[in-house]
Amino acid sequence: MDHLFDRRIIFVGGKGGVGKTTTAGALALMAGEAGRSTLLVSTDPAHSLGDVFDIRVGNKETPLAPNLAGLEIDPEAEAERHIATVKMSMKSLVAPKMYGEIDRQLELARHSPGTVEAALLERMADLMSDAKSRFDLLIFDTAPSGHTIRLLSLPEVLSAWSDGMLGQRDRSRRLGELLSVFGRDHSREDEFGMIGGSKEEADDSRDGRIQDILLTRRRKFHRARALLTDPAVTAFLMVLTAERLPILETRKTLDLLAKFDVPVAGMIVNRLLPPEADGGFLQERRAQEQEYRDEIDRTFAHLQRVYLNLLSHDVHGVETLLEIGRAILRQLGQAREDLGAAEAP
Amino acid sequence: MKWPDFKKKLSDWGYLASEVYHAPYRGAVARAKRDQDDLFMLLIFSEMMGVPNPAAYYTLELQPVLLERFHEWHTRMGMEHSPLDDFKCC
Repeated sequence: MDHLFDRRIIFVGGKGGVGKTTTAGALALMAGEAGRSTLLVSTDPAHSLGDVFDIRVGNKETPLAPNLAGLEIDPEAEAERHIATVKMSMKSLVAPKMYGEIDRQLELARHSPGTVEAALLERMADLMSDAKSRFDLLIFDTAPSGHTIRLLSLPEVLSAWSDGMLGQRDRSRRLGELLSVFGRDHSREDEFGMIGGSKEEADDSRDGRIQDILLTRRRKFHRARALLTDPAVTAFLMVLTAERLPILETRKTLDLLAKFDVPVAGMIVNRLLPPEADGGFLQERRAQEQEYRDEIDRTFAHLQRVYLNLLSHDVHGVETLLEIGRAILRQLGQAREDLGAAEAP
Repeated sequence: MKWPDFKKKLSDWGYLASEVYHAPYRGAVARAKRDQDDLFMLLIFSEMMGVPNPAAYYTLELQPVLLERFHEWHTRMGMEHSPLDDFKCC
């Protein structure tokens, strides 16, 4: 693995409040500066991407810096659009007096659990497969870990679902074929080729449409999954602070990422007390921090680690971000050299 | 009896014989297929009836295709009227 920016997709994840957006922003700026046209995507429902750059971003690609655009996905709007499409095709099939019922029913679907999540995943998957033509690099500033893991596991779960549905359709089709051997009674079938219907249109067209929809779905899930698990394409960066809870959560997240075969590029240990910070209180904090640092070094010895110091001022604006970005890349480069030296005989 | 008439009789008998042989199987296969199709309907419309479906977002886009069958289905399932409060098709 040469350079972090050789990948096409970088996920930045971690527990809430450890500095994911800052890290993602810093990396995105560096990538842009290195001449890679980059899209920085925030998937956290509580977006803060625009705040870091002091630019209003929203649900459309917005230029943030040279070679860098930002996007804050609005899953509600995505779900809305999906449901509007379904509504349209339903209304083309039923009598106008049913329109009210359809609106009400689909309104419920919009608020059912999972809909917003699925819409978010859909948008991310679309970006992952389509953004290639417009951007060299996609950086996802993800929501706190649990949420992200669930999102990353969805393609696998849903491929299984679409496989199951297609298998079910296949069984029905085979029974239909068998039925025609026994002299099929077409007058009792509807346009699905389903028995008990009342229409006599061609059986195959409806079955074909169902098949098409399911196959398109499955293709999408499989593609998303293939991209997510390809170490040449995707890298996951964990951000954490040297504290107990972020360490525990990071460990859990890494286990799950391993389970779903998502390649992890390294971790960024953020907000360490700088050596020049003095005073008895900070001295004590530093001793405590050292314990957790040791624990991090022990537990995550197999991963590249980057250490960033707590800054005396807020991270705000491009200059500070660039500074952080440089520090990260410098350390990643350093770690690689060390690794190379260790492996050399 | 003329030859064409005889041929027709013969093929009628042939038809009858094949019906006697095929009909029970046809019934069984048709039922099996219908069960599969009903199960598919259930998978697609379960969310509407309060059965949580993790793939609800995706079954939604299949609903328009199956909408016309909805009435057939719920009557066969033993529900005289649409089981959904908000979705009256009859």
